[in-house]
Amino acid sequence: MLSARERAQIAQVWDLIAGHEAQFGAELLLRLFTVYPSTKVYFPHLSACQDATQLLSHGQRMLAAVGAAVQHMDHLRAALSPLADLHALVLRVDPANFPLLIQCFHVVLASHLQDEFTVEMQAAWDKFLTGVAVVLTEKYR
Amino acid sequence: MVHFTAEEKAAVTSLWSKMNVEEAGGEALGRLLVVYPWTQRFFDSFGNLSSPSAILGNPKVKAHGKKVLTSFGEAIKNMDNLKTAFAKLSELHCDKLHVDPENFKLLGNVLVCVLAHNFGKEFTPQVQAAYQKVVAGVANALAHKYH
Repeated sequence: MLSARERAQIAQVWDLIAGHEAQFGAELLLRLFTVYPSTKVYFPHLSACQDATQLLSHGQRMLAAVGAAVQHMDHLRAALSPLADLHALVLRVDPANFPLLIQCFHVVLASHLQDEFTVEMQAAWDKFLTGVAVVLTEKYR
Repeated sequence: MVHFTAEEKAAVTSLWSKMNVEEAGGEALGRLLVVYPWTQRFFDSFGNLSSPSAILGNPKVKAHGKKVLTSFGEAIKNMDNLKTAFAKLSELHCDKLHVDPENFKLLGNVLVCVLAHNFGKEFTPQVQAAYQKVVAGVANALAHKYH
């Protein structure tokens, strides 16, 4: 359940990301692979060559999906249903990995945005992304 | 036992030397209490924790944060021997403070976010990796004597 204040903060965070989806997404993936090497198993081609163009492209795609989730934060299940299917049937990323991605996401935002990414915004963003992760793994069994 | 490469140690100590440990400690503890509010359960005696600004401005939070991070700084000097360095503190956290070791991981992650905030671009993926390794090592060391 998101409070009105949290909803506003989540929208604020997205405003800071919008326009930088590719750049932030690529750095997110790079940090994930560097800090948590075991996550590379889910991105065999991407993590092996770490080609900048591919990282930017995949990063863009991931963050665009996050942006869509922000637009539908009050009905995530419906909005993310196709992605939930993908994760349950095809990708099958172990749920333990989502907190690792979320940690790297906070680090990307904190290092790029510094004071613009406040403590309160991190709290709301963490709650939101955790909710997204729950929805994405809900159909696993 | 965790092993740190020469590069990892250099990255960690170099960044640490530029840090204002006092301030960063308060920031880290404050951030923990705001982002993961259930951690406030250990700090009933700290007074006003009713809002993010109250928490971040709370003098007891700042003082305790400084204490915690100063202790962490000692770990930086003993990276190859974290379990020994934190043995006494581990017993304390188990027997007297009754802190769920999960909280050490949360604080470690929040500390990494504070470093990212303070150092910006300088906090590269490689530096982050070294620090995540240190905080994980400290968390394990602090949990080691639990029984």
